[in-house]
Amino acid sequence: MAMNATQGYRPGLVDLNTGQISREIFVNDDIYAQEQERVFARSWLFVGHESQIPNPGDFFVSRMGEESVILCRDRAGAVHVFLNSCRHRGMKVCRYDDGNTAVFTCPYHGWSYGTDGQLVGVPYFREAYHSELDKSRWGLVEVAQLCVYKGTVWANWDPAAPPFHEYLGGFARFLDLILDGWDGREGQAELLGGVQKWLIPCNWKFPAENFSGDSYHNISHRSVDLVGVGPSGKSRRDYGELNVARKLHVAIPDRGHQTITYLLPKDHPQQPAYQNAPEIAEYFRHCEEERRKRPGENARLIGAPGEIFPNLALLPRQPRTLAVWHPKSAHQTEVWRFFFVDRDAPQAVKNFLRDYYIRYSGPAGMTEQDDMENWNYAHAASRGVIARRYPYTYEMGLGHAVEDYEFEGFRMPGRVVDLTRAQASEEPMRNLYGRWAQFMEAESWDELMTWRRNAPREAVAAK
Amino acid sequence: MNTSINIRDLAVGTRIVLENGAEAEIVDNPRDGVWLFARYLSSPDDAALVGIEEMIFAQDVAETRSPG
Repeated sequence: MAMNATQGYRPGLVDLNTGQISREIFVNDDIYAQEQERVFARSWLFVGHESQIPNPGDFFVSRMGEESVILCRDRAGAVHVFLNSCRHRGMKVCRYDDGNTAVFTCPYHGWSYGTDGQLVGVPYFREAYHSELDKSRWGLVEVAQLCVYKGTVWANWDPAAPPFHEYLGGFARFLDLILDGWDGREGQAELLGGVQKWLIPCNWKFPAENFSGDSYHNISHRSVDLVGVGPSGKSRRDYGELNVARKLHVAIPDRGHQTITYLLPKDHPQQPAYQNAPEIAEYFRHCEEERRKRPGENARLIGAPGEIFPNLALLPRQPRTLAVWHPKSAHQTEVWRFFFVDRDAPQAVKNFLRDYYIRYSGPAGMTEQDDMENWNYAHAASRGVIARRYPYTYEMGLGHAVEDYEFEGFRMPGRVVDLTRAQASEEPMRNLYGRWAQFMEAESWDELMTWRRNAPREAVAAK
Repeated sequence: MNTSINIRDLAVGTRIVLENGAEAEIVDNPRDGVWLFARYLSSPDDAALVGIEEMIFAQDVAETRSPG
C-alpha cells in the first residue's frame, strides 16, 4: 500500500480518540521506509556509553536507525559519532565491533580518516589527484548534535532538533534511576561485559510498545515466575515495594517517553532483597540507606520498564539495563542490550548480577524469550492481507489518566495512571503512537516542539 | 610495485624505500595493511619533504631496510 508521506497517519492509522491503531504501521514497507527519514533521522538516539571508549583512539561501532555509526574518542579526548561510510565510494571504514585505532581506513581504495573524522590519507594524492582534492571537505560525516549525559552518549542527525535535555523533558529523572549509583551518587553506571546483540523477526515497535509499560502481559511470564529466576530465588524480581508503593504509568505527552514507576510513601521501610546471598543483600541494604540520605525526591522512586522515544528501552532495576530496538526492515529488528553496574561495586556483586541479568534478559534470558515469542508471532500473524484489515485496540483506560498527580507531597510530571488498583492501562502505548504519528506527519522540528508553542500561553495563563 | 611486503609486519624504526626512490623511517604503524606513518629521510623528487612525517600508502613501499 503506497502511503502519502504527509497525510493519513492520524486518524486513519493512529486514532487516539477511539484507541484504534492500524496493523499497517507495523507491517507496511512504505511506512517503514518513511520512518527512517521522519523518526530516526530526527530523533535523539542512544549510541553507547563512555565506559566503552575510555582512552584516546577507542571506538565502538554502533547504529542509528539502519545506519552504522562509529562512536570514538579522538586523540585529544573528544567524543565523536560518525557515519561509518567512506566519502569516496561508501564502503564501511570500520568493520570491527570495537577496539583502538589511530585511523579508520577504507579497505576499498584506501582512504583513511583520523579519529577526529578528518580525511588524512588519500592514495596517490599527489599523482592522481594532483594535490587538488580538498581533503577538508571530505572528512567522515559527523552527527549534527551529540550529548553525553551521565556517561551515556546520544546523537541526532537533525541540527534543528532541540537539545537533548529539552528532548527528554521531565523524563530525565527516570533515566537517572539507571545512570546514578545504587547509593544515589550521580552517574556511577559502568557497562558490564559486552553488548548482547541478536535479531528478532518483528517490527521494532513491538518491543518499543512492550517496554513502554505493558504490565498487562505479565501472564506470559507466569512460567518464569514459577521457576523463580529472581535474585532471591522467587518470582522474577525482588519487588517488595509492590506492597507499599503506588504503581504508576507516567507518560510525557509532548515527548513520547513513558514508563512504569513505583512511588514509595514518605519514610518507607526498606524491603528485603537478595535474600539468598547475604553479602549482596548487605551491599544493597547499605546503598539504599545511603540513597535515602541524599537530597532530592528520586529516593522515593523505584524504576521499572520504560521507553525513551523512539527506540531506547530502560529497565532501571533487576536487571539494570538499556536495550535498543534497531530497525533492520519492517519485519526484522536487531536488539542490543547493555547491562550496567556501579563501577565501584565489589566484584562479587558484579558477578552475582551478571548471572542474574543474563538469566533474565538477552537472547538466552528467560523473560526476554517469553517476550520475543509474543512479538515475533504477533508480527507474523499481522502481515496477511486479511489480518491487515483489522486494527489493534488500545482503548484500555482511555480517558482515565490524570495530570498533576500527587502522592504524599511528590508531584509526578506528565499524564499518570495509578495502576495500584487498575493493574494495567494502555496510556503509555497511546502516548508512544501519538508521538510517532506526530513525527510521521511533521515536516520539521518546528511542528514537533509543541511545548515551545504552548509556553507563552501557559505563561499568560499563569499571570 | 612490490607486492610481497606485508606492511602490517613492519616495526617502528624500519626504513622503507618508496617507488619514487625516497627513503623514510616508520614512526607509527596502524596495522591496517594500507598505511604507514613515516618521516622522510631523503626525497629525490622533492627535497622539501625531508624531515616531514607523512602517511605512506602500502603500494608505494618498494623495499625495506633494517632499522638504523
